[in-house]
Amino acid sequence: MAGIGFVLRKLTRKDDLLGILQGFAHSALASNGPWLFTVLALGGLSLFAGGAGRLSALHEFRVVIIYNFTFSLVLSGPLLLVLTRALADAIYAADVRQAPSMLVGATLLMVITQLPGALWLYFGWAEFSPAVALLAVVNLLAVGTMWVVSIFLSALKDYRSITNAFLAGMALALAAGYQLADTSTGAGLLLAFTLGLVLTISMLLAKILAEYPYRVRHPFRFLRAFRPYRLLALSGFVYNAAIWVDKWVMWTAPEAVIAPSGLVTYPQYDSAMFLAYLTITPSMAIFMMIVETRFYEAYIHFYRELQRHANFARIQANHRALVRTLVDGVRNMMVIQGTVTLAVILLAPQLFELFRIDFLQLGMFRLAVLGSFFQVLVLMLLIVLAYFDFRGPVLTIQAFFLVTNAVFSWLSLQYGFAFYGYGFFLACLASFVFAYIVTARFLADLPYQSFVRNNQSVAVV
Amino acid sequence: MSRVADVALVLEGTYPYVAGGVSTWTHDLIRGLPHLDFHIVTLMPPDADLTMRYELPANVVAVTPVTLQRLARGHTRVRRQRELIARLRQPIEGLVAGGGLEALARVIALLAPRRAELGQETLLDSREAWNLLVAMYEARYAETSFLDYFWSWRALMGGLFSLIVAPLPRARVYHTVSTGYAGLYAARARIETGRPAIVTEHGIYTNERRIEIAMADWLFELPLVGLGIDRPALDLKDFWIAAFEGYSRACYEACDEIITLYEGNQAFQVADGADPAKLAVVPNGIDFPRFAAIERRREGRPPTIALIGRVVPIKDVKTYIRAVARLRESVPEVRALMMGPTEEDEEYFDECKAMVAHLGLADAFTFTGRVRLDDYLGEIDVVVLTSISEAQPLVLLEAGAAGIPAVATDVGSCAEILFGRSDEDPPLGPAGAVVRLSDPEATAQAIARLLTDADWYASCAAALRERVHRYYQERDVMTAYGERYARYCALPDRDWRAPATEEVA
Repeated sequence: MAGIGFVLRKLTRKDDLLGILQGFAHSALASNGPWLFTVLALGGLSLFAGGAGRLSALHEFRVVIIYNFTFSLVLSGPLLLVLTRALADAIYAADVRQAPSMLVGATLLMVITQLPGALWLYFGWAEFSPAVALLAVVNLLAVGTMWVVSIFLSALKDYRSITNAFLAGMALALAAGYQLADTSTGAGLLLAFTLGLVLTISMLLAKILAEYPYRVRHPFRFLRAFRPYRLLALSGFVYNAAIWVDKWVMWTAPEAVIAPSGLVTYPQYDSAMFLAYLTITPSMAIFMMIVETRFYEAYIHFYRELQRHANFARIQANHRALVRTLVDGVRNMMVIQGTVTLAVILLAPQLFELFRIDFLQLGMFRLAVLGSFFQVLVLMLLIVLAYFDFRGPVLTIQAFFLVTNAVFSWLSLQYGFAFYGYGFFLACLASFVFAYIVTARFLADLPYQSFVRNNQSVAVV
Repeated sequence: MSRVADVALVLEGTYPYVAGGVSTWTHDLIRGLPHLDFHIVTLMPPDADLTMRYELPANVVAVTPVTLQRLARGHTRVRRQRELIARLRQPIEGLVAGGGLEALARVIALLAPRRAELGQETLLDSREAWNLLVAMYEARYAETSFLDYFWSWRALMGGLFSLIVAPLPRARVYHTVSTGYAGLYAARARIETGRPAIVTEHGIYTNERRIEIAMADWLFELPLVGLGIDRPALDLKDFWIAAFEGYSRACYEACDEIITLYEGNQAFQVADGADPAKLAVVPNGIDFPRFAAIERRREGRPPTIALIGRVVPIKDVKTYIRAVARLRESVPEVRALMMGPTEEDEEYFDECKAMVAHLGLADAFTFTGRVRLDDYLGEIDVVVLTSISEAQPLVLLEAGAAGIPAVATDVGSCAEILFGRSDEDPPLGPAGAVVRLSDPEATAQAIARLLTDADWYASCAAALRERVHRYYQERDVMTAYGERYARYCALPDRDWRAPATEEVA
């Protein structure tokens, strides 16, 4: 008789509970790594060209690079996060034959979506020489390709290869920049920087093709992943917009500069922000270590015992241990990063003296350093939530950051130069408080959240 | 609902969506009572194929499929949700602990008034439902795998809730064709409508579940991470079994009459809480005139025996083959037939063929494949049934009507068919022999006696034909149910607490 046989079968679907993938969390780190890369590459080439005394060339170059990075990150964000997740799913399912197809498909999609806008911007709207415009477009596509490619390596957790490729690319860029900086337009520096990027991409590609030696077929099949992961796609856009929006707002300041090409930036603000961002490198490294070691162990332990039929008392004990790991980790990080941040704030005049940075930026820089301290904490909390696949809360926090960063920056603009930087700082502070409350709430509730609220098997079909 | 049907038949995973024994029985019952209206309620698993496998008779007014364990989403929150879910705990724990109809009535009283708002969000996915699940877990099963408990709870309580919020068509009498979820649904109908309910059990649902659950070891692993190696006092199998026992107890209490195919089932029903005063037997019947008209052809052929059924392990064809080998020692000229489809379990069929060859029976033993029974019955002397499990095997009755005695294992109602029920009056005498499971020696001896002792053969053949004629005719089944339906339809509405047997007696 039919009866209950079908009832029992439902139990076998419990596998879904561990559909949570660390690869996703890595993408958050990976997408932050290139941010650092942006700042370092810009800084290096600036020193170079500055030394060569070609300020107009340098300025043209900087404007293009800033525009390329800001648009590339914001526009590629959705694609990158969904791609990361689709790839992680494929790795989890032990079926990576699709990987090269996904790589090709994602790159093509990036080119198709960004090329028309890039052509319009550099050849149409802005006034650049054809050589600079062409190099600017090529550079944008190279930057986008770099994001796509680095995702495949971060999914492999091959950070050493990534680092080597970026270092080699940067070395080439600097060497070429040394030769090419002495031209009157930004073309030479752009070419140098793009060459470096191409080298980085080539090295990463070689590594990927060695890992995934499969044929390309159905390159656009991974687009299906946009459907289940549309929240993730939205996250990719919102987060990147959130970390850039204060710059966009500040580009409307009276102190902003309109380049001969017609593109606007606010070099003092931008550079204060970029420099400040360098100060969070210690936290990133520490957090990476915590996530990879103690947290990941506790996390795996929690889910593994749950799957191995632990009783509830045991699940609760593992839950408490997991939360304790996080609290300890974040506290350690706050102490270390807090020390670095405080030192940088106090020693800022000396650092500015040393690197011959314009003292006009000092106030903004100090606020940016303090803001970055909270921003990196927000990022950590986002990654923790991402580990548990709490996509809704992640998006909520990112949206909160986007809105506060835009609104507070606009307000600081209204109060004038003395308040520049307060917008970003307050947005980061508020977002941290908000993210902390959300994360604490969800973590305290982890068993219910993982069993019921966040369990695909339980969802109404 | 346009009109009130005479009978609502409540079925679980069968008619009209799944072909099989119970479905055929249901189909015949409906066609046999054309003067009554039937409303079919079929409980189906989620994602089941709802294609009709039967052409519905004209007297079926509607079919209502109910998806088990799948609730509508419902409101995200309902008024006083915390209080509602908290108050559910006692009655649902009570129901699972054998609280029966009283407990079910309390669950219904809580949920029924807010049926339109309640659904998966509130009853399964809410924080309050989670707390209820955890509380029930910690009260009794705190040592067991929480993951398995979680799914078990959702399956069992989800099944319960899905039935209570499902639509309930109006009918004069509710007839469920099993206990389990279908029985629970009929009990709900009894409580909510005040109309009588009856149950017919072909197999004993709770028993089938017990066996299924006992064998499902892969489902209920012990915690691997605990330190102790002792089994916990209660494991999840107990939870499942308790739930089904609780559901069937509520069904038995709700029903005015508890019917089964043969007496052998009744001990199980009583053990599961059925009131002995409500028990009744209505066996399945056959078309007696058709089989009685088959002409016996005795001349010019060797003595012939047959096992009629599919070639599958549950029929234990191998014991039959071994018995034939023994039988050849006393009846060397015997011809043995294995009549039935062979394709269901090819591997088993190959093993059987190999065994026939190995025992040197190739010239005496024939696999006929699927055949028309009427063509063969005239030339068969003894029907043999070596099954390890049966309910009420119709082949014994069909052969009996044709004047053929039988040797069968002591399973299902075989003994009742061959020796008569305890209340048979006057006793018609034995109609063959009942033997133990997988006992080729005893089987061969019993067959040999029938083939060699003409007087014994004649008395057995006569007894079986007469017994089938008196007790196992198809038209009698229709009459039995037709009378019952008429009686229950005529009853006035009664509160569910009103004693069930009073008016019926």
